[in-house]
Amino acid sequence: MSEDGTIGAMVAPDPTHPRIDFTERRLANGLRVIVAPDHLVPVVALNLWYDVGSKHEAPGRTGFAHLFEHFMFQGSAHVAKAEHMSIVQGSGGVCNATTWFDRTNYFETLPSNQLELGLWLEADRLATLMDALSQENLDNQREVVKNEKRQSYDNQPYGSFYEKLMAAVFPPGHPYHHTPIGSMADLDAASLADVTAFFRTYYAPDNAVLTIVGDVEEEAAFAAVERWFGPIPASGSVPRFAAPVTPPHIGAGSRETVPDNVPLVRIHFGWRTVPFGTPAFDALEVATQILAGGQGSRLYRHLVRERQIAQDVTLFSMPLVAGGAMLAGWATVRPEADPAEVEAAFLAELEQVTREPVTADELLRAHALIESSELSALGRVEEVADRLGMYATLFDRPELVNEQLGRYLAVGADDVLAASAATFRDDNLAIITFVPREDDSAQADAA
Amino acid sequence: MSGPAILAHRPSAGPPRPYHFPGFRRARLDNGLTVIAADVPGRPLMAAALLLPGGAGHEPARLAGVSSLAARALSEGTRRRDAVAFIEASERLGASVGASCDWEMLSLSLTVPRGRLEPALELLDEMLREPAFPAHEIERLREQRLNELLQAAAQPGRRAERTFLAHIYAPSSPYARPMGGDEETVPRLERAELVARHEAHLEPAQATLILAGDMEGLDAVAVAQARFGGWRPTPGVGGAAPTPVPAEPAAGAHATVVVDRPGSPQSEVRIGHVGLRRRIPDYHATIVLTTMLGGLFNSRLQRLLREEKGYTYHISAGFDFRRSPGPFGVRTAVQTEVTAPAVSEALGVLRRLTTDAPTPAELSEAREFLIGVFPLRFESPEQVAGAIAGLVTQELPDDELDRYRPAVAAVTAADVVAASSHIQPDAAAIVLVGDAERIVPGLDAAGLGPVQVVPAA
Repeated sequence: MSEDGTIGAMVAPDPTHPRIDFTERRLANGLRVIVAPDHLVPVVALNLWYDVGSKHEAPGRTGFAHLFEHFMFQGSAHVAKAEHMSIVQGSGGVCNATTWFDRTNYFETLPSNQLELGLWLEADRLATLMDALSQENLDNQREVVKNEKRQSYDNQPYGSFYEKLMAAVFPPGHPYHHTPIGSMADLDAASLADVTAFFRTYYAPDNAVLTIVGDVEEEAAFAAVERWFGPIPASGSVPRFAAPVTPPHIGAGSRETVPDNVPLVRIHFGWRTVPFGTPAFDALEVATQILAGGQGSRLYRHLVRERQIAQDVTLFSMPLVAGGAMLAGWATVRPEADPAEVEAAFLAELEQVTREPVTADELLRAHALIESSELSALGRVEEVADRLGMYATLFDRPELVNEQLGRYLAVGADDVLAASAATFRDDNLAIITFVPREDDSAQADAA
Repeated sequence: MSGPAILAHRPSAGPPRPYHFPGFRRARLDNGLTVIAADVPGRPLMAAALLLPGGAGHEPARLAGVSSLAARALSEGTRRRDAVAFIEASERLGASVGASCDWEMLSLSLTVPRGRLEPALELLDEMLREPAFPAHEIERLREQRLNELLQAAAQPGRRAERTFLAHIYAPSSPYARPMGGDEETVPRLERAELVARHEAHLEPAQATLILAGDMEGLDAVAVAQARFGGWRPTPGVGGAAPTPVPAEPAAGAHATVVVDRPGSPQSEVRIGHVGLRRRIPDYHATIVLTTMLGGLFNSRLQRLLREEKGYTYHISAGFDFRRSPGPFGVRTAVQTEVTAPAVSEALGVLRRLTTDAPTPAELSEAREFLIGVFPLRFESPEQVAGAIAGLVTQELPDDELDRYRPAVAAVTAADVVAASSHIQPDAAAIVLVGDAERIVPGLDAAGLGPVQVVPAA
């Protein structure tokens, strides 16, 4: 080690990254299948991406894609109510599903000798879910989802920020104006007919990508998929989603103050950005790393460490594809600090990257951290399966799994400057400030 | 029935493939440092962990939080460079380098791309042997910790957890307090206390260095020798291993406590008592029991409170196995209106454990789940290093992880019923964070009183 503290300065990111070798085929019914063997651990990850998310929901029917996801665990022709989870866990596996703006995905990781079981479970619910749908299941799962909303959002300090930020960054009528959890009122209005229609419209092999990663032989895996999914008919008429014309900027700054049951003031920021998948979005992710990606980042260093006016700072991207995406962040204000000063200091750091290029050293550190984080993610079969499904569904390019890291490493200081300048503008900023509620007795009335 | 005919035929499993926890070997350097190297082939990242005995369970009560704060301060600058320069050096390597403590151990850890292991270890060493503990950084970390406590108090789940632990353990047990210290003790944690705390750890003969990753072409012992071979104990430090952490239950722990949080749409619920240490003969039977009770998606608690009653999104139960007896707890959040029935139903499930033996399906599901997901926990070098650190911390034999799957497979229904004596619903504390005005009458009516109400602020 040198005495001047330049350890590591000579180390450039390693260009010889491990590659994910995968093969892709399409069944006659349109199901897209991707297989990537990895034999380190005797497990296999299955991930099924359906090209349907909250952006496909009609007005007055928010929360449907997610409510529907719950039904996929309520049984089908050959699987009893709630048996899906029992079969997976009782076979030594884990499974879950998530609903997001652009898609819904279902996944299980099983001992590799149980691959066929996983395929059977997924095929059975795709082919026969409607056999098991009942009013009783609808009523029960509606309550479970409402409890999920209470637990994850309504009963959490600052819990409504996400809903409020999306609504401020995307206009009414835009598919990203509402979040996947939806509204209580819309959930209450859900009928069996709605759920059936949703299934028939979107759940079809020609609207899905099935990815298999892990301890499998390629040909055997494709043959197994053909066996279980091949006989399921295509829809042939899945409506294609058309991204709405979305201006690149919000058009006007907005500001909202929310009194809440919170101990410290927190200022949330949201900007509309170019869509995920564009080089400018990659550049924004590198900018995010430099601004708030760790203790060496600008915002942490200046607001938390040096001026000590913020308890924490954060900045993160929401990778969305329909016409635009979002970058969001927050600063939690220390009790003795002035919120106006924190807000100004936070925005000043962002303004700085729109005016002057980031330094070579900052870029090197950001690249090195992104590299490690990507390498770590690509070392887990579940994550690889999810990413292959994502790149195939959103961009029709599963090979991005091997290209995305190179794209981040190719981002230069001029790219960061240009993408930041295009994003961090006064007419493109929504601010939502949570402040401690002064009168505690008011809380009961609000609930 | 609809759908393709083949779906009527549920497939059976193929032959299982063998699995063994990554092989690891031990060596001892001349200065007494134990080195453990585990091979995780084909992974581009390496993980390292340096463990030193004497975690937060072994600090004086009046300085609660000193171990945690000292660990956090290790990366805040060294005699060679200040905090920012230190962080930047680790970022240039793409490394994450840091320190933390648990109840038993101080742990310095790093993850880094394989080719940069040695410069990253150099940083780890610098943090270990030459920390500067700058007073101004310590002051900031203290303030941050106090603000964290403020935020935790506003978060109903964390509020419930803290109240639950303070309620079930005697005040003399460190397990009764937050590991990072509380509002009373944190202001006392000055630089001198942190320095003294750190120096008490610096004994190579009691320390263990774990390296995990692709070991091809890497002589881990030689790397460790080159880096840490010259580490000599600080005079006057070391000696006897720490005595066990006291973990007595509180007198009067069996009670119902409501932390008032007016307007809450849900009540956070904790039901439980002081539980078990890790080294018990029926460990594997006990985890099969808790998996069936509150670990699986279709556990007994989930089936009744989520799927049947719709009271909650999720309910879980389990033991936190520590060197000394850690807590047993049932954890959930339920909608406010059904708080009392939810607590009664959960207690009913616990009471029936001794009478309702596991069905063959329950037993098989719990065992197969634990056996099957076991390899999934060890995909990354970081996870492998963490698992070995667990063995070191709990003083378990090296073959414990390879013994795990056969031991779980051998658990019988009778073993599970016997293990259920570790769960004592009639001695359990019930701790709730929610809207007292709306939930206390129901608790009283359900015979769950008398209820102690803790005011909101």
